[in-house]
Amino acid sequence: MKKIYIAAFVFSTFFFAGCADDYLDVDQTESISTKDTELFNNDAGATTFVTAIYNKFLNWDMTSFGWIGLSSITSDDADKGSSPGDTGTDKDVLDALTYDASNPSAESTFTANYAGINRCNQALNIIPQLDKADPVLRTRLIGEAKFLRAFMYFTLVKCYGGVPIIDHLPNPSSEADRIMLSTRKSSAEVYAYIENDLNDAIAALPLKSQYSSSEKARASKGAAYALLAKVNLYQKNWQKVIDNCNLVTGYSIVPDYASMFQLAGENGPESIFEINGVGAVPIKGIEGYSNTQGARGAGGWGWGFNTPSESLVNAYEAGDKRKNATIIFAGTTLYDGRFVPLTVENPRYNYKAYSSTFTDAWETDTNIKYLRYAEVLLMKAEALNELGQTYEAIPLLNQIRNRAGLANTVFSSQSDIRMAIWRERRVEMAFEHDRFFDLVRTGQAKAAFAADISPSFPNGKTFTEGKNELFPIPATFIRQAGGLSQQNPGYN
Amino acid sequence: MRNFIFSFLALILLPAYMSGQVIKGKVVDQTGLGVPGAFVVSGNASTDTDFDGGFSINAKEGDILKISLVGFESVSVAAKLTLMTITMKESEDTALKEVVVIGYGTRKKVDNTTAISSIKAEEITRTKVMNASQAIQGKAAGVQVISSDAPGSMPSVVIRGLGTALGGKNPLYIVDGMPTENTNNINTNDITSYEILKDASALAIYGTRAANGVIIITTKKGKGDKISVEIESFAGIREPLKKVKMAGSNKYSHYSNVALQSTKFSQDQPVNTDWFDEITRTGTYTQNNASISGSTENIKYFFSLGNYSEKGILLGLDYDRVTFRNNNEFKLSKKLTINQNFSLSSTKSVPKPLSAFTNAYKQSPIVPVYFPNGQYGVSWVGADGFASTSGSSFNNVGNPVAQLNYFDEKQKSVLLQGGLKLDYEIIKSLKFTSQFNGEYYNWKNYNYEDTKAIWESSNNPGQLSTIIYPADKNINFLTKGREEYFNWNLSNYLTYNKVFADIHDVEVTAGIETSVKGSREKLTIGRRNVNPNANYWSLKDVNYAGDDITNYRDETFNELRLASYFGRFQYKLKDRYLLTGTIRRDGSSNFGKDYRWGNFPAFGLGWIITKESFMADIKAINVLKLRGGWGRLGNQNVPLNNQSYASGLSSYLGGSILNEGTTINSQIDPSLSWEVTEETSIGLDFELLDSRLKGTFDVYDKNTNNVILYTKPITTSGITYESAGHVGEVSNKGYEISLRWDDKINDDLSYWVGGNYSNNKNELTGTKKVFLSIQDGGNLGNGQNTKILDDTSVGQPLGSFYMYEYAGIDAANGKMLYYNAAGAKVTQDALNLNTDRIYVGSIMPTSTYGVTLGVNYKNFDLSVDGYGTAGAKVYNGKKAQRFSGENIEDSLATDFWTVNNTSATNPGPFNQVPVASTYYLESGDFFRINNITLGYKLPIKEDGWVSSCRLYVNAINPFITQKFSGFSPELVGDGEPTKTQGVELDAYPTLRSFVIGANLKF
Repeated sequence: MKKIYIAAFVFSTFFFAGCADDYLDVDQTESISTKDTELFNNDAGATTFVTAIYNKFLNWDMTSFGWIGLSSITSDDADKGSSPGDTGTDKDVLDALTYDASNPSAESTFTANYAGINRCNQALNIIPQLDKADPVLRTRLIGEAKFLRAFMYFTLVKCYGGVPIIDHLPNPSSEADRIMLSTRKSSAEVYAYIENDLNDAIAALPLKSQYSSSEKARASKGAAYALLAKVNLYQKNWQKVIDNCNLVTGYSIVPDYASMFQLAGENGPESIFEINGVGAVPIKGIEGYSNTQGARGAGGWGWGFNTPSESLVNAYEAGDKRKNATIIFAGTTLYDGRFVPLTVENPRYNYKAYSSTFTDAWETDTNIKYLRYAEVLLMKAEALNELGQTYEAIPLLNQIRNRAGLANTVFSSQSDIRMAIWRERRVEMAFEHDRFFDLVRTGQAKAAFAADISPSFPNGKTFTEGKNELFPIPATFIRQAGGLSQQNPGYN
Repeated sequence: MRNFIFSFLALILLPAYMSGQVIKGKVVDQTGLGVPGAFVVSGNASTDTDFDGGFSINAKEGDILKISLVGFESVSVAAKLTLMTITMKESEDTALKEVVVIGYGTRKKVDNTTAISSIKAEEITRTKVMNASQAIQGKAAGVQVISSDAPGSMPSVVIRGLGTALGGKNPLYIVDGMPTENTNNINTNDITSYEILKDASALAIYGTRAANGVIIITTKKGKGDKISVEIESFAGIREPLKKVKMAGSNKYSHYSNVALQSTKFSQDQPVNTDWFDEITRTGTYTQNNASISGSTENIKYFFSLGNYSEKGILLGLDYDRVTFRNNNEFKLSKKLTINQNFSLSSTKSVPKPLSAFTNAYKQSPIVPVYFPNGQYGVSWVGADGFASTSGSSFNNVGNPVAQLNYFDEKQKSVLLQGGLKLDYEIIKSLKFTSQFNGEYYNWKNYNYEDTKAIWESSNNPGQLSTIIYPADKNINFLTKGREEYFNWNLSNYLTYNKVFADIHDVEVTAGIETSVKGSREKLTIGRRNVNPNANYWSLKDVNYAGDDITNYRDETFNELRLASYFGRFQYKLKDRYLLTGTIRRDGSSNFGKDYRWGNFPAFGLGWIITKESFMADIKAINVLKLRGGWGRLGNQNVPLNNQSYASGLSSYLGGSILNEGTTINSQIDPSLSWEVTEETSIGLDFELLDSRLKGTFDVYDKNTNNVILYTKPITTSGITYESAGHVGEVSNKGYEISLRWDDKINDDLSYWVGGNYSNNKNELTGTKKVFLSIQDGGNLGNGQNTKILDDTSVGQPLGSFYMYEYAGIDAANGKMLYYNAAGAKVTQDALNLNTDRIYVGSIMPTSTYGVTLGVNYKNFDLSVDGYGTAGAKVYNGKKAQRFSGENIEDSLATDFWTVNNTSATNPGPFNQVPVASTYYLESGDFFRINNITLGYKLPIKEDGWVSSCRLYVNAINPFITQKFSGFSPELVGDGEPTKTQGVELDAYPTLRSFVIGANLKF
């Protein structure tokens, strides 16, 4: 009898030990577990994780007020605008290039891009697990996520130089991940990482023409090549710029420049990658983008920030159609018949942020054109010129000039053509969030800001070389990094 | 083991001496089992009984045999030639026989190496309160009990300091083997022992659930050889121990006029409402219990039925509980015993909102309870400066009486607990125990809000036809709730006990256990515009689906499973050197696969110094024992990995199709697991002067090195939600002393005096390389927080207050001033929330102490128990929440700053929400007489129909000395030290009770 008991006890112990681990697998019932991917294990489910990344680009902190301040108001194309007393938190110091390490716009841009990168990493983590979704679709989605991650790292490296590279979902208690999150990499490492992502994206993405008409704003193979060309341009890898520009196919220059910035022209033949807003219900537009830049005061509809500078107005040659397509002048009538009276507070506003139908709405149908075929031509022209093939660069430049109603360029020397291409980039892409970085890239910044004369800045502005090329890393991050990352020069 | 000791002693000390005849017999105990090791003496001959209780001794027929054994009463019988059977009766409790419950077994107190406080049944029933944990306040060193007198509330028990910030703080209760969290279902009269396991070496056998300490409650069993019936009844009245004197109407009007710099209020008011009196009544409570118990040769039985009923001091608040318990023990064979227990507790309660206390504090005395037209008074003032049914509103406080009358809620619950325990003696030294326990809980409630009537009472006291209830609003609103769960626990273990080579006494316990805390299912339905007649809320065949159902929550909380292995080795060498080793391995379903198993080892050492020969001559010292140990414990009630999908992040991608977007905006720490506490402790037990003075001294050092706190993700993670991580370190260091002197002067007079003192230093000693997410706490509901837990809290005790330091008043204008970080005195508008606040002490006392004394004279008994704490701070939340137009305390009404009284201690009237500051922070120190009992036992014969009758009167909390100016410095709040615990806001006052009762035994 006793032997039976002992045997039973010993047996039950082994039995218990054997299945105890399964026994402890309890399904959670109070919230949907993120371990339970089954809910998303289909085509629509897989797609949602990438849609969330695009959604980030509609956010206030990602693409709106802070980003406008950082990428546009700082440049010589734009002034702060608005009422003299309304600083827009920090837009006055951005305009004056006097911002410090605690600049809110620099902080929100940094934070927002990393929030977007998290969405990419979440998508890249989960989509491979969704085995019931179409494999072709999954490949494309992974490509989109990688393109978008590269896009955001490109923004970060342009603004801040080398930044931490977060290539996987961090574990909050892992020391290795803490070091990853806290340690700035060199610019070169970030560029290498971006190129790697873009090459993966190129392999995975379809052509724009292969997307249905309702999904033209998705990242395409052409977009990845164009961005890669721009990344090459920033690193002065001229031959690669040319090679990649040549691979951007299926696009063309539209005849009417102004049409691209109106609803009908969105995602047209020249468009390579843009951020897409919709103002009709259910509304999903870029939060506050049109409103913060809308005309201010009586007869206006917005806050009046980011106004075109005198320097920009003067940059247009006579007869350039792009001037009136880029700048709203007070006292004129817009393409949709709206009259902007002289009672508005500022003489000029950003036309490219204007929405005809949803003029004063917080979210409108205004898009941001981040990559256009015109820029591809200009990048190629610049690279050809740098490699001494000036003769081949000139027709590309003229193609852009002619569309704007201008005659062929009068210059022919390599150095003159270089300057002509840079000037052309300015007027062609004004208010498309490129100018400040272009000035830094081309080394023209100090001179350009000195010449950025306006009533508020009669002597121009001071661009401090060795400092103003980069924005400050947020002080909160430097503190969190606990010595693993240093602030950019000049901001301590 | 006892067998061994005494046979051993007998062998050494008493050489056998043979003469006369051989008398043979057997010594048995009351159950008929042989008693080994008993000492049998006849004249010069002596022997001791063998392992079956048998003996043989040289003696003559008729010689007196004297049989003695420690733990039994000595017996003297005449020797017979026939085989004798001598029954020994177990003696009353003695130090050597006293056992303590140690978890999966018992141990003789003298052989125990750990820190355990045992509280006897009579200590628990002496104070007439509903929950046993409230009754033990001040009776065990190192155990802090914070209780509320709100009927049905569960006291908060903290053993040897707080070791966790966000995790569960309650000790684990083991009731007759069932792990449970709530002990409100236990009738205190049914308890036979209440043991508090305090140090790690005692607790480790409970593994992941032991870090906050374990309380083992054992209920009664039948005993004796005849049926015993016991009836106990008492009735008492209850009233607030302390009230706060408020300003009357005229003083209120004067103060408010000064504040408003107008003559809005007449200073000759016709109404002077004492709102506290209006919302309270004299509370009453009664308890009646009847129990039947007894035993036969094979069955022990115990039945108990009890009813506790209380009418609270807050108008309309009622609580009623019926308990039934049945514990049986069946001895099926010599080797097999089955214990069965069952308990049922059913409660019905009518709750009322405790915010009525705050509203009564704040509502103006010029407002009448009812206006002359019969409508509830509202805080509107007319042109005459009196409260009026028309006019302008002067504060946002409702009518507290209306609030209580309109609050219509009932709750009912049933808790069933039961278990079976099987003990089987496989071989002489090896016992197998299997125990199953389960509990089922069911709760339901309704809450009916007469929305329209409430609106009209506060918006249209004048019953004007021009004021019309908005048609789109609900007429009424009904919320119904249901909740249930089933938990169970199964343990199987073997106990092996043997003495080797006469000096090695070994006991080994090994077992497995599984515990399931079932899903708590909760259903809440909200319906509007129901039939006002409660009988028609749940009609047959009616489908209520539709617009009128506005809330429908159907929740199933996560199930929790635990699988465990445990083992314990107890060794005693030469009756004086003690060693205990314990290990438990627990797996919890709460945690990730790779992090769910943990090992919890402990050891204890003991040395009974008085058993050493060199101590033999020191007569003054009866027992001296040194013990110590180390152990590791877990707390699995910690914040969990809760990560969810964030949806709604949709986007158009160029066309008109809105694509749904989803991501995850939180981090998961897969290694998140229990918090681990390590404790080292040393203790000394002593009994001196014929065991009249007994005492214990303990010191301990407890560290929790992986406390879970919420961390702020690093910016570059792109994640904004805080995540729980093992990042904190909490230390508790302290000591405990308890002393008690018992003496019996003669047969008529005995007395005792005792006391205990505990000191604990709690500190958040550090955090790892992370940034903590700021946790504000102690919110007053007016935008002010009184506590914080973040990176600045390192070096502070948990539950610390964090606020501005009050710097007195500005004599020039009567404004309150505060110190800023630079040390300058500034007004509140000039303060910086981030830099000017400081830590000003914790809600947790550093010291607690208890005293007890008692006298028994003839048939009278008198006992007094007191309890006090020192070092805690409390926040006068209701006073700090007071806003313009609300009442003020009388002490302020006569002493506030005006241009003519610039030296007043209180600031001038202000119409701004005051910042949280030390102006409202007070000392929580108090000493209170918890209980005075006087009993008289009627002189009746024990063999009569009524064998015993004791009448008693009992005063609970008759006196208090406190520094706090509010109602009570004992403030449970929400039970969270980092939140509203220690803040007096919506608090039920501590009560003084007078009780008369009787206890009869048949």
